[in-house]
Amino acid sequence: MSIDSSALISVRDLKKEFRLGVRLRRVDALKGISFDVPGGAVFGFLGPNGAGKTTTIKILAGLIHSSSGSASIFGEAVGASSVGARLGYLPEQPYFYDYLSGRETLLFYASLFGLKGDLAVRRSEELLDRVGLGHAGDRAVRKYSKGMMQRLGIAQALINDPELIILDEPMSGLDPIGRKEVRDLMFELKRAGKTVFFSSHILSDIEMACDRVAIINEGQIIESGSVSDLVARAGDLVEVFIRSEASLEAPEGSKGPELVGDLHRFELKPGSVDSFLAQVLDSGASIVSVVPRKTTLEDLFVQEIHSHRGEGKGGAP
Amino acid sequence: MSRLFVQLLSLSKITFLESIRHRALIGLLTVALAFMGFSLVLSALALRDQALRVVTNFGVFSLSFLGVVIAIILGVILVYKEIERKTIYTVLAKPVPRPLFVLGKYLGLAAMLIVTLSLLAGAWFMVVMFRGGEPGIDHIYAVTLIFGEVLLVTSVAVFFSTFASPILSGIFTFGFFLIGRSVPVIEHMLSRRTGLFVDVPGLRPIGDLLVTGFPDLTVFQASNELLHGIPISTSYVVQALGYSCSYSVVLLSLGVLIFQRRDFI
Repeated sequence: MSIDSSALISVRDLKKEFRLGVRLRRVDALKGISFDVPGGAVFGFLGPNGAGKTTTIKILAGLIHSSSGSASIFGEAVGASSVGARLGYLPEQPYFYDYLSGRETLLFYASLFGLKGDLAVRRSEELLDRVGLGHAGDRAVRKYSKGMMQRLGIAQALINDPELIILDEPMSGLDPIGRKEVRDLMFELKRAGKTVFFSSHILSDIEMACDRVAIINEGQIIESGSVSDLVARAGDLVEVFIRSEASLEAPEGSKGPELVGDLHRFELKPGSVDSFLAQVLDSGASIVSVVPRKTTLEDLFVQEIHSHRGEGKGGAP
Repeated sequence: MSRLFVQLLSLSKITFLESIRHRALIGLLTVALAFMGFSLVLSALALRDQALRVVTNFGVFSLSFLGVVIAIILGVILVYKEIERKTIYTVLAKPVPRPLFVLGKYLGLAAMLIVTLSLLAGAWFMVVMFRGGEPGIDHIYAVTLIFGEVLLVTSVAVFFSTFASPILSGIFTFGFFLIGRSVPVIEHMLSRRTGLFVDVPGLRPIGDLLVTGFPDLTVFQASNELLHGIPISTSYVVQALGYSCSYSVVLLSLGVLIFQRRDFI
């Protein structure tokens, strides 16, 4: 993959191996991933648990050193102070100094950017209100709920008015309203010209919020591109429900049968529907419903993960 | 004020606040004050001319030993706690150089130890006065020397905590402290014609290594001078503090080198 000079984040053949346990067992968390994140985009980083999302994000945040390959942000190597100054980062399940209040926590993070005095106070107050913690600013963080901690985490990630915001599972621990507020915040940041890079395994959140996605599995990027392109490339589906005593085979490239109550459910490619329905009628079975359906990111994700595992590309211990 | 200075101040402040709230500190302070109280009881039972000797000995011991214990316990816990509780993630993702983080931890701990030891020293001076003594410049110098020792031990604890678990760091730091306090004894054993380090093959190089590689922590002890009324010179105190600073700088630099390479998984 060639280097895209307009990309805000550029990752090339990034590898990370860990040595774990007494026997220093080798675990290849990243097996040479490459992707670009253009400026001004909301970029979703999608993958099942243990796929390598957090490892990638920690490398971008300068918390983990890569084994080989390169990762740059704003054209500079990750981990540089100049990168950190323009970056906001929310770790997965953030923790804070529990004896500080929410307000003191934000003032502390402001000081790490050299912000002090009225500017730091004003910025902290604005962010407490923005994430819905204005009423709890004086409460000790140890008394915050999980959702409040997540909101405080988002606030600290925005304290320096960053150009790029990296969020690791930002919807984790939030109720549906909280998740919608985070999505709205992402759109707001995008409108303000910011770039948002966030990981999640909640597909609906990614589909609703992102312009572009990369799907990672077992330390490898298996798909990347705009959400609409990926979904279009996967093609539409036709969902067919059959009532049959005998077992029926799905045509090649289709999914099923899946037993739903006393019905058999198939997901077919549009081109194979006619011949399949004819075969069903010939067998004496009855057709209950035939419904065309748009492919969702979830369909694509499940399809990609299954085909990737089926090909045996994995191998991470 | 430069950004680095503001960052250092913030990191030190947060460490100071965290350490003074630690339960272990409150417990150890209570023990130290109980020691002082016990010295008053014991001195009341001693011969009249020995009463001041008892409170002086107990005071120096309380300050020195408990200062070191506090330094070891909090020194090994605080960096580890940042990693264990993951508060370090949000800090190091900011434009905070890793060496500054280690230095901030050290300075915050040092500030806490200075405040704690000053309080204990104040209590000790009152006990000395209660027994008819007059704390003077030598007492202040003795306390300053204890600061020097405790700050050196803190740097050892912070060094180990950059890569080891609290239990291992605690064992290593306490071992370092014991060897440091034994350096003159080992030197003496090495200078003799017979004895452990001379008779057992292979032990002499180890003895030499201990003597050359470890700081002599007895240079920070001034109880004999106080007991016998021998003046402690300013130049000696300055030299001892310089000795402590030099070792601390080396140990913290080594800690920074390790910390720079660490992955925070």
